[in-house]
Amino acid sequence: MKLLYLAAFAISTLIVNANRVEIVEGMPYVEVEANGKTYKIERTQEAGAYLTNTFALTSRPSPPFFIEPFHVDDGVETFGELEVLDFISKKRGVFIDARLANWYKKSAIPSAVNIPFKIFLSDTPERTKTLKELGGEGSGVSWNFENAKTILLYCNGAWCGQSPTAIHALIEIGYPKSKMKYYRGGMQSWQLLGLTTIVPEVKK
Amino acid sequence: MKILTVLLTLTIAMTAGQYDKVKITPDMAYIYVYHKGKAVKVHRIQDTKHKITGEYAKIYRPGKDIQPIKMHKDVQTIGEVELLQFMTKKVNKKKGLLVDLRTKAAYKKESIPSAVNIPARVKDNPVKIEKILKVLGAKRNADGTLDTSKVLEVAFYCNGLWCDKSSDFIKTFLDLGYPADKIRYYRGGMQMWKILGFTTVTN
Repeated sequence: MKLLYLAAFAISTLIVNANRVEIVEGMPYVEVEANGKTYKIERTQEAGAYLTNTFALTSRPSPPFFIEPFHVDDGVETFGELEVLDFISKKRGVFIDARLANWYKKSAIPSAVNIPFKIFLSDTPERTKTLKELGGEGSGVSWNFENAKTILLYCNGAWCGQSPTAIHALIEIGYPKSKMKYYRGGMQSWQLLGLTTIVPEVKK
Repeated sequence: MKILTVLLTLTIAMTAGQYDKVKITPDMAYIYVYHKGKAVKVHRIQDTKHKITGEYAKIYRPGKDIQPIKMHKDVQTIGEVELLQFMTKKVNKKKGLLVDLRTKAAYKKESIPSAVNIPARVKDNPVKIEKILKVLGAKRNADGTLDTSKVLEVAFYCNGLWCDKSSDFIKTFLDLGYPADKIRYYRGGMQMWKILGFTTVTN
């Protein structure tokens, strides 16, 4: 009898702990690493959860907000959530949150580094430093990106022009299109699927 | 005559900026599509404080896998801007069909303007599928093969990023020999359409 209770308890614990909402069948969560920390990305398990924060807003004023095309450029691949999860869990490159710092500070996708899109727009010491960190060789407006890393950029969602603007600026200075990926869904689609966000620890 | 001109100018001035507060793209505030023979203006909700509520604001979706960005290497995935182009350049000109794969009840309640409803489970009914292929311009050759040289372009959508009805249905179409370059997949579906504040119609 005791054994039966024990078995029942074990099974019920399993059920409680198992994710009922999986990312895809057989994949309850994904682990990503950043700054020596491991983050678990999963979908909300809260029955009846709704999107109610500012990402539930349907109508951002234009300008500056417009619906972005599906592709930023013919040679730049557009990613969905599964492709993002594969990219970040297998560390296929640098995952960039291209939003201004005030957005990033509030909430972001785990493991993303914040490089605000404005950094890419003009030749500044900050841009030179950033491009070197991404594996570019050169300075000013003359760059060799042969050894540059693959980068994946996102911002607030389908109505956000920040990551497309960054990508266009990078194309202009010769960053290879094949080394850039665009997660168009951004923060809005991410949260609409109930996926984990974090409040990043911002270095001072 | 003068009064008429003034009235006309006034009307134009009043309506010109009506959908400019929340536009679709920099050069597009709205488009017209035909829905069941009637012209429908498709624009975005202009109230900048409006939030999505109801069924499509739900983020808890047990048993609903997130769908990949591409359902097949040769089938183009499109977003809202491309879907609107499809509506004006294809659907309005009867060169294309926008298909809502959700249930009849869901479609009745609301849908994307210009969409027709083919509930996804129809794919298991060979008689109905054959009829649909015919409507789309496919011809059955004497040897049983399908002549798709004159078929319409079709764009499919369902509930959203977590809905597999579109990819399942498109797979059926591909298996039947429908050309991949005549198929579009609007992955965002009803949920993205609504969260961007686009016009819907009841059926």
